[in-house]
Amino acid sequence: MTGTPKPPSPRPGLVPGVLSLLAMLLLWTLASQLTDRPQTLPAPWDVAARIGRLAATGELWLNAGMTLFRVTASFALAMAAGMALGLWMGRWRGADQWLNPGLIILLNVPALVVIVLCYIWIGLNETAAILAVALNKIPVVTVMIREGTRALRPDLDDMARAFRMAPLARLRHVVLPQLAPHIAAAARAGISLIWKIVLVVEFLGRSNGVGFKIHLLFSSFDVTGVLAWALAFVAVMLAIDLFLLRPWEARANRWRQDAA
Amino acid sequence: MRLELEAKSFGARPVLGALSLAVSRGERLAILGPSGIGKSTLLRILAGLDRAYRGRLDGADRLAVVFQEPVLLPWRDAVANIAIPTGCDAATARDWLAQVGLAGHEAKFPRQLSLGQQRRLALARAFAAAPDILLMDEPFASLDAETAGRMLALTDALLTRSGAGLVLVTHDPREAEALHARPLQLAGQPARLQTRLQKD
Repeated sequence: MTGTPKPPSPRPGLVPGVLSLLAMLLLWTLASQLTDRPQTLPAPWDVAARIGRLAATGELWLNAGMTLFRVTASFALAMAAGMALGLWMGRWRGADQWLNPGLIILLNVPALVVIVLCYIWIGLNETAAILAVALNKIPVVTVMIREGTRALRPDLDDMARAFRMAPLARLRHVVLPQLAPHIAAAARAGISLIWKIVLVVEFLGRSNGVGFKIHLLFSSFDVTGVLAWALAFVAVMLAIDLFLLRPWEARANRWRQDAA
Repeated sequence: MRLELEAKSFGARPVLGALSLAVSRGERLAILGPSGIGKSTLLRILAGLDRAYRGRLDGADRLAVVFQEPVLLPWRDAVANIAIPTGCDAATARDWLAQVGLAGHEAKFPRQLSLGQQRRLALARAFAAAPDILLMDEPFASLDAETAGRMLALTDALLTRSGAGLVLVTHDPREAEALHARPLQLAGQPARLQTRLQKD
C-alpha cells in the first residue's frame, strides 16, 4: 500500500535559509571576539544596539526613508525607460541598429562617471541624484527586456492581429505576460544594484540618506555605525523582496501551475 | 470578401500564382492540396496577416481565424481567452464555452485542458467574434479520428446556427465533405486554384 504523497512545503528552503543566516551570525560573533580591536569588527549585539538607538531617535526612519524614496524613484524611472526602449529595440530592427552602439557605450561607462557628470551638469540636487542612478540602470533593463522581446511568440502575435486586438490590450494580455519573467529578473537584479548606486550618489552629493550617514561615519572610522546603517537598510530591501516582489512573481506565474 | 491575387513569392521563390477567390456569408469553401503547396499562405493573405503580395483583397467582412495550433493565451483562463481577443463580455464567453461542451472548465488555464478541449476553446473564441467568415487552417490535424469527427460535427452545427461563411484549409477531402464545403484544389508551381478535384 502506498502512502499519500507528501504535500510540498509552502516555503521550501526556509529552514536551510535561516540556518545559513545563523551560521553567518555565529562566524561574525567568533571573529569579533577574536579580534583585539573592537573598533575594527564590533560584535553583532553592539551593531544591534546602535540600530535600536537610531530607530528610537527617529534618525533611522528619516534617512532610510530618503534613501528608499531615491531607490523607488530611480527604480521606477529605470524600469519604465528600460522597458520602453527594450520593447522598441526588440520589435524593430532599425531601432536596434541605431540605438545599439549608444547602449553598449552606456553599459560600459562607469557608474561614478555618470554620477559626477550629472552633479556637474544638473547641479547638486535631487533630480541629478535620481537621474544619475536611473541612467546607470536603464541600459541593463533595456538589454534584458530586448532579449525577452526577441523571444516573443509569433503565433500569439498572429492571433492578436487576426482578432484585431487593440494595441493596449495586446500589450497587457499578450506581450507583458510573456515578458513577465524577464521583467522580474530585471527588477530583482535592478533593485539591488540601484540601492548600492544610490548610496554612492548620497555619499558624493546629498545631505541626508544612508549614504550620507556612512560618509560621516567613514570620517570617524565608526565601523559599528557603518554596519548598523548598512544592515538596517539591507533588512528594508529584503522585506521589499519578500513582501512585494515575490508575491507579484507568484501571482504572475499562477498560470504555470497545474490544476490542484 | 474577394481576393484577386496576382502573385505571392517568398524571396525569389514564387509560391502562389494568379488566382481569384470570393466567399460570402453562408458560403463554404475548402482549399485542398498537399503540404507545402501554399494553402496556409493563402489563408494568411485572406486573414490580413500577410500583406506582402501582389493583388488586392476587398471586403469589410468580420473575420475570425482558427489556427493549426489552438494559439491560446496560456496565462489567462478559458473565459478570458474568449473575452479578451474578441471583446465580448464574460457571459457571452461562458455561453460559447457551453456550446462547445466546455461548461465547467471556465476557470481553467489552457494547459489544464486536453488538446481536444483546447481546440474546442479556440473554436468557441472564433465564433464569439461573431464572424461573417470563419477561416480555418488545418484545425483537425493531430486529433484522433473520434475527436476529429466530433469537432467536425460541432463546427458544422455552429456554422449552420451562426450562418457564417467558411474557408477551410486542409489536405483531407473528407473534412471538406463533412463540412459541406465546396472543394477547390491548390496545385502547380506556383500554385493556382482548380475548381475540380484532380483525379490521379
